[in-house]
Amino acid sequence: MELSVPRPWTAESERRVYENALEQVRLADQLGFDYVWAVEHHFLEEYSHCSAPDLFLTACAMQTTRIRVGHGVVACVPQYQSPIRVAERAAALDILSGGRLELGTGRSATWTELGGFGADPDETKKTWDEFVRVIPQMWMQERFSWEGRAFSMPERMVLPKPVQKPHPPMWVAVTSPGTETDAADRGLGCLGLTPGGLKESEERVRTYRARIRQCEPVGATVNEKVHTVNFLSCSHDRDQGRRGGLRVASIFSYMASQLLSAKEVLPTRSYPSEGLLPALRREAGGPGDAAQGFKGVTMGDPDDIAAAIRMWESIGFDGLNFIVNFMEVLPQQYVLDSLRLFGEEVLPQFKTAAVGAGVD
Amino acid sequence: MPLAGCLDIARLLDDAPTVELDGAELRIDAVDILQVLFEVPASNAEALVPAALNPTIPPVVTFLAYRAADSPFGPFSLVQTRVIARAAVRPRAYLVSACCDNDGLAAALSASFGFRTWPGKVRLQRFHDRVECVATRGRDTVLDLSLIDPQPITGHDVKYAPGMHLAQVSRDGVTSPRLVQVDTEYEFHRADRGRAILHAFDAPAWGDDRLVPTAPISASVTTCDVAIMPVRYVCNPDIPAAEGTEQVGGP
Repeated sequence: MELSVPRPWTAESERRVYENALEQVRLADQLGFDYVWAVEHHFLEEYSHCSAPDLFLTACAMQTTRIRVGHGVVACVPQYQSPIRVAERAAALDILSGGRLELGTGRSATWTELGGFGADPDETKKTWDEFVRVIPQMWMQERFSWEGRAFSMPERMVLPKPVQKPHPPMWVAVTSPGTETDAADRGLGCLGLTPGGLKESEERVRTYRARIRQCEPVGATVNEKVHTVNFLSCSHDRDQGRRGGLRVASIFSYMASQLLSAKEVLPTRSYPSEGLLPALRREAGGPGDAAQGFKGVTMGDPDDIAAAIRMWESIGFDGLNFIVNFMEVLPQQYVLDSLRLFGEEVLPQFKTAAVGAGVD
Repeated sequence: MPLAGCLDIARLLDDAPTVELDGAELRIDAVDILQVLFEVPASNAEALVPAALNPTIPPVVTFLAYRAADSPFGPFSLVQTRVIARAAVRPRAYLVSACCDNDGLAAALSASFGFRTWPGKVRLQRFHDRVECVATRGRDTVLDLSLIDPQPITGHDVKYAPGMHLAQVSRDGVTSPRLVQVDTEYEFHRADRGRAILHAFDAPAWGDDRLVPTAPISASVTTCDVAIMPVRYVCNPDIPAAEGTEQVGGP
């Protein structure tokens, strides 16, 4: 969930987007989807009005019974928030959701966000590293103290503690090539955000799987899961499914390309690539895009989508995170029908329930 | 949909350069390039670029200064004031205007690539602790900025967006307003970055008094061999670039 709100903005437009998203989550819960993820973004006009994802996910948790709530990607940048606050809010969400929290971590990639908070882009990789190491300790240790680079604190009891024991599963957003090795080295799950090609993706998964065998986990458990992102549009009418999916993919790629990446305006090695933007620019590059075909794209009829999922499964992915709408380009009823059809005809072919950590 | 530009180009077309798409390429070796970027207020974002382009959020002005000891037109210094934008999904920089101290080069850049130039003095100086760039028009200082505490980086870390230059483009005996896409290739020999400081900027002198630099973003200085490539694309300034981009020599 990006919670994108198209212009022109009215008093109602943000509320409508939030309510539509909640309705989608309630249905997904009923249908057996495993996760809902909400990404933290700031200042990204139209693209994402999701600056308080923990609040949105709390609402999701209150309106559902089974689906796991993915608090991610949380920006692990001290100018945005202290790791203490991340640990506290995430633990509260874990309690309120009955132990359904997943925590996804990241560091932001746009100047719009980093500059808005006065964050130093050279430091974000380092601060992310520190955040992911201290957060599980704050959850697990009765009292915690720290002297570090990004922050320090005297001994305090960080409260509340999550209900999942030893702690909720942790992930990292993977956009730049090489971040999958960061994930593997720390025993973190891979939240793939780049809609890359199958061959490139297969190689990255292989690297991750090999590397994580030697990991030194930042927490008490290893989360060896690899997810990627895709666009979902499911209809009995294949053409309608594809048209709907392409509308979402096109507008998502177009809007993402408008973002001002840190790499574009700041000479820094901390952002060796522009993250997901170049890939999306290639995807949104021109009218010939549709001719690239639908290999691996989860849009079309249920058989098309099942075949696409098998393709990702065959190269080692454990899950797909779907973007089901963006900028409200698809009518809400279409999105709900698409989810329902997917849930009824595709999901049962693959269903293995997501497993979190144990709950006391 | 993203914000679209609404710059009134009618007033700019009166004195816009006239470009012959002659397939010219201009190579200049050992150019010192200073690039300094600042945010500008978002309230003016749409008015800073033509309708073909989308402004970024926040809008960003970039000062791009060149100094070369030699070129096909002799030694020169040049500084451009540009606004970062998007042509559909592509990063571009809309040229507001440029100050050049070499009349021959300015004429060539104008005629082949649509540079809107005006004559002035540009002083680009490298010190070990800073780099300074001062542009003067007559007796007036119209730009004075510095890069402080240069630290080595690699050329791969530096991005220069292709330019979009408003011009009257002459093709097949017909002249029409177009944004000329200016692609430049760089071979880096050295690169440093530092803090950006702006001491003075006379926005009206550059052609747009809405350009008010505020928060500094970055500053870099490089030494490169530069090749300004033959024009490959032009764009109708009045319609979105996704619809109005034409390949030069294409259908």
